[in-house]
Amino acid sequence: MTKDALKAVLPWVLGLWLAGVTVAGLLWAPAAAGFHGDSFRIVFFHVPQAWVAVLAFCVNLVASIRYLRTRAPLDDARAAAAARLGMLFAILATVTGSIFAKLEWGMFWNWDPRETSIVILLLIYAAYFALRQAVVDEERRASLAAAFAIFAFVTMPFLIFVIPRVYSSLHPNLVEATQGAVRFKMDPGMRLVLFSALAGFTGLFAWLYSFEVRLARVLAARHSREEA
Amino acid sequence: MRRSSLLAESLAIVCKELASELRQRVALSAIGLFAITTLIAVAYQIGPYSLAENDRPFLLSALLWIILFFASMAGLARVFVKEEDAHTAKTLRLAARPHAVLLGKLVFNLLLLLALEVVVVPLYCGLMGLRIEGVLGLVLVMLAGGATLSISATFVAALIARASGSNTLFPILALPLLLPLLVAAIAGTRAAVGSPELGAVLPALRAISSLGGVTMVTALLLFPVVWRD
Amino acid sequence: MGVVIREVIVLNAGVVTVRFDGVTKRFGRQRVLAGVGGEVRPGHLLVVAGPNGSGKSTLLNILAGLLRPSYGEVRYLDGDVPLPRDDWYPRLGMAAPDMAPYEELSALANLRLFARLRGCYNGDGPLGTLLEELGLAAAHHDRLIAAFSSGMRQRVKLAQATLHLPEVLLLDEPSANLDADGHLRLGTLVERLKPTTAIAVATNDPREIAWGDAKIELAG
Repeated sequence: MTKDALKAVLPWVLGLWLAGVTVAGLLWAPAAAGFHGDSFRIVFFHVPQAWVAVLAFCVNLVASIRYLRTRAPLDDARAAAAARLGMLFAILATVTGSIFAKLEWGMFWNWDPRETSIVILLLIYAAYFALRQAVVDEERRASLAAAFAIFAFVTMPFLIFVIPRVYSSLHPNLVEATQGAVRFKMDPGMRLVLFSALAGFTGLFAWLYSFEVRLARVLAARHSREEA
Repeated sequence: MRRSSLLAESLAIVCKELASELRQRVALSAIGLFAITTLIAVAYQIGPYSLAENDRPFLLSALLWIILFFASMAGLARVFVKEEDAHTAKTLRLAARPHAVLLGKLVFNLLLLLALEVVVVPLYCGLMGLRIEGVLGLVLVMLAGGATLSISATFVAALIARASGSNTLFPILALPLLLPLLVAAIAGTRAAVGSPELGAVLPALRAISSLGGVTMVTALLLFPVVWRD
Repeated sequence: MGVVIREVIVLNAGVVTVRFDGVTKRFGRQRVLAGVGGEVRPGHLLVVAGPNGSGKSTLLNILAGLLRPSYGEVRYLDGDVPLPRDDWYPRLGMAAPDMAPYEELSALANLRLFARLRGCYNGDGPLGTLLEELGLAAAHHDRLIAAFSSGMRQRVKLAQATLHLPEVLLLDEPSANLDADGHLRLGTLVERLKPTTAIAVATNDPREIAWGDAKIELAG
């Protein structure tokens, strides 16, 4: 198969995969113990969304560092694209999370450590875009945004890892670490669907991201044609 | 090629900031007035008796840091914003090496914050009837918290000074970066209020200083980019 | 013997040449400079002329390394060796309309600050002499810039740009707000520095254009 044909087929494969995950998550996956009714099924969407939000934050970091090294406008476009998608998925994760929280704990919001973390992540994304909007010069916008992204990334772990341990978490733990070995506390069927969903959402992110980067490339090409 | 040392340049900038501030007192009065106004509002509304005994250490520590934090948001950005507003930044950019600028402004902001803490903390304790068991612990938390706060705030100030509408942008950018510090500083202050043991504030102190160390290194690495581009 | 030769070389330190090629700058969709190239070297003064908005100041900012060009390249050459960007600023002096002195400091305190930062502070004496040379009488040296007229400020700016005997001097509208006396003094200063300093002047003043050994005319 040629590369182009593969490129044309992949989005369809991705679509089918996600459709399969949706059906499996809502209908096939066995009920999990300890949750009210079917509320646990949101986990197949919520966890991958939160994962993609964090993944996008990392992609944004890498692109930002690359920009400061290469000074290539495309790397800045990559950073911005990752942040846009990251913000979208952070919002989705927040919404699905608070629906689950309402069903399970009776409240939409509990300031649970992970809820707090995703709000901070959202605030950082919002600040990132506020900064981008406030700088007119393209080169300066790119480097200031990159500097902010890197600085923000450095402070995030303190929130996720250092501070939340002060409080106890309501959040269901999917992974349990016992004496160095990591063990999954899940039914095999549920685990299969969850991992498929994680793969599917990662693929979705990759597809949307490549789409944005391609768009940026086209716009840049048109720009330089106008220059000439 | 450079004929001046980093230390000499940083000192020259600190001295210049102090001379300017002593003459104009803009940052000092902005921060001071903000803090005093909020302090009076809080003391008037809550006072020493309206909180349940159990809640007092935590709520009063949180309120104290919220006052300090927002007061600092009113004035710490000025070190860089005024350079851009008064069109003096370019001359400074050409004459001083970036790290001297960062260190000079950072030290000045730290002095400003410490001056604020020296005035506000005793006043707050008096007005709210807050008894501190571990005075030394509180002093350490205030020092470390002030230092870490001024590192992040100074770096963000340098960022936003180069954007338009910078004064509104400052708290928007600084808040998410400073939240971990705020949480740790409140925990540390609460520990110092409740216990005379120095060990009680140690976990918070460790969190604050490691955050300060990491942000300092990052700020030093990134500042030349922010300042020059 | 060798020491003496070294000193002669150091005294005539004007060895830095600024060479730029294909400099293009875009602000958003608007293009300000399109493929500008040229050279600034000691004894060979470059004049940048052109109508308002043609990008004179932008070009000078790019030459100073204060602004990144969208395309194109600027190099500082020590002989044939390109200098790293960190070595540009210490060798550079610049005066421009958007480079104000500190209002809340006196004229002398301003110069003292920049001399300290550049590591060439040898007491107030030389700085006072420089100010007087630029026509600012001693009585004004300790007054705050806030009380200065725009012509007096311009003289302080020129002193700031030259107090460290830069190897590269960029002057953006250097005679703005200067009277006839000020202009004469500026001319004397430029004349004195020219043999050892690479100077570029952005101006539309015919008297200053006449100083030029080369000229770039930017289109509006």
